[in-house]
Amino acid sequence: MKLLAPLKDSSEVEPLLAAGAEEFYCGLTPATWQKRFNQNWINRRAQGSAGVADLADLQQILARAAGHPVYLTLNAPFYPAGALEMLVEFSAALLEEGVAGLIVADLDLLLALVEAGMGPRIHLSSLATCTNSGAAAFFQELGVSRIILPRHMTLDEIEASLVPGLESEVFLLNDGCVFEEGLCATTHAAGVFCLNDGEEAQGISGQTLEGYEFWKWTLNHCGCKTSRGYPVGPCGLCALPRLLRAGVSSLTVVGREASLTRKVASVGLAAMALQLARAGAAPEEIRTAVIELRGGASLCQDAHLCYYPDVWPEQESEEAIC
Amino acid sequence: MEYAVRLLNPGLLPEDPRRLCPVKWRKLLPDGPLTAVYFGSEFCQELIPDLKEAEEFCTLAKDAGLEAVLLTPVVRSDGLCQVQELVTELESRGWSPTIVFNDLGVLRMLRNEHPEVKRQAGRLLNRALRDPRLAEQPLESQTGETARGEQIRALLQRFGVAGLETDPDLEGSYLGDGTTDLQRVLHLPYIFATSGRNCLFKAEAQKGNQNFAKNLGRTCQVSCRQRGYSVERSDLERPLWRAGNTLFYEATQALVEAHLGRADRIVIHESPMS
Repeated sequence: MKLLAPLKDSSEVEPLLAAGAEEFYCGLTPATWQKRFNQNWINRRAQGSAGVADLADLQQILARAAGHPVYLTLNAPFYPAGALEMLVEFSAALLEEGVAGLIVADLDLLLALVEAGMGPRIHLSSLATCTNSGAAAFFQELGVSRIILPRHMTLDEIEASLVPGLESEVFLLNDGCVFEEGLCATTHAAGVFCLNDGEEAQGISGQTLEGYEFWKWTLNHCGCKTSRGYPVGPCGLCALPRLLRAGVSSLTVVGREASLTRKVASVGLAAMALQLARAGAAPEEIRTAVIELRGGASLCQDAHLCYYPDVWPEQESEEAIC
Repeated sequence: MEYAVRLLNPGLLPEDPRRLCPVKWRKLLPDGPLTAVYFGSEFCQELIPDLKEAEEFCTLAKDAGLEAVLLTPVVRSDGLCQVQELVTELESRGWSPTIVFNDLGVLRMLRNEHPEVKRQAGRLLNRALRDPRLAEQPLESQTGETARGEQIRALLQRFGVAGLETDPDLEGSYLGDGTTDLQRVLHLPYIFATSGRNCLFKAEAQKGNQNFAKNLGRTCQVSCRQRGYSVERSDLERPLWRAGNTLFYEATQALVEAHLGRADRIVIHESPMS
């Protein structure tokens, strides 16, 4: 089970390796794309805020990663008409450069890449909403090498979706989504649509709306970080022992666009928890260690930050732990 | 052009389903016969019908001489079993509705376990933008390119899929130019904007335990079928509809016009439904 870290530029590689990163992912937009499809983000982030600047810096990333796999995001939920040929050529060139794999969501692009012989280098993005063993087998039969499971799945559901011989990746830390991101037909390019959801909701009590607002706040990192510099957003660290037992291959730390400080803090926290899990620690021990390092104990109360709250028996998660 | 209707309940069929559409663009829709009744759920595993409800819809369709079409959502592994069991039970009772799949695991299951069942690709396989904040912008389809979805349409044909469905997206070319054997189906008048597993109706039913992190994995205790309502948002020019776990908006006349020429069948929804 590897720790997958986000990158924005080559200067981040060494600090993240030192913090415990074992794999990397990043995005790159070719100049030819910007000329023709400027209004469409190629990898769900604005190039300026989250993308690697150019091919030269990607080459630097590959060199500095020193053999650790680097994956490229081509994870837009769809691409406009006329884009596939360019993307297939771009993908082939990236793999030639040494990129280990491509993170793909759009079925049209995925099929074109498979046709071009790149299936074994494809990781199916969480945006493709592969949420069951049948869908996982479908993509395995197409030749895809890894599935990235969406955020909103329980541990039981994750376990039930895994297929022998197919790598799997799950979300571990940071950046939640209110809706199922693969089924959200809005774009952050026009602003974050979900933040205003629930401002008027007929027949829904104030208590429920308050709970909804609180949840959205936690998904958005509670609008802050701890006094020790750690993010306090969605977190699956206490589920690591079970994810390890289930045979999950890779763990995503989210946030290509984040500052290096936040990336290093996140990866460091995750690496510490993963080390404990590999040594056989139980969820409670990991939770204690995470709170000790990160702070923010009150937000672990009642599983508010948990990606996988079912790691806790229902009764225990209702109780305060601090 | 032919028409299908999606009803909340297996009740009366409308004489002309176009009457369910907004008056302002109803006249855009050409004449055509009603040929099918849709039921089931596209957006929520919790709303997959039980055998009794499915049989009621199949009976309604049969009595009217129409095709019965069962909509299925994206599912987790237990939902995949649920769909398989429902299809098997319906078959054992002599029913064979067309299955609309929005999950490729469901397609694989149908192909392997029920190869004779007619299947259609649901609108959630089309992941194009439908952002209501951009709904007034010119359509990409006006560029005249039709290549989007070509690989998907070829795959569907290889998998024995009979048709391809969508609602009006902001790109416009997903249904193709009609050169394949796939029936092209357009859902009107509601476009889905976003959908998720956490749902205000479900949370409301948790009775004092509004922990949304934990609600994600909980089973829904309430039926939202009859509870779609309009939502006015200060940042939107048009109202949304909240139906269960999904937000919809009404298609603009321009979007309807842009898609009509590519459709063989129009499915008219009685109301927004998950």
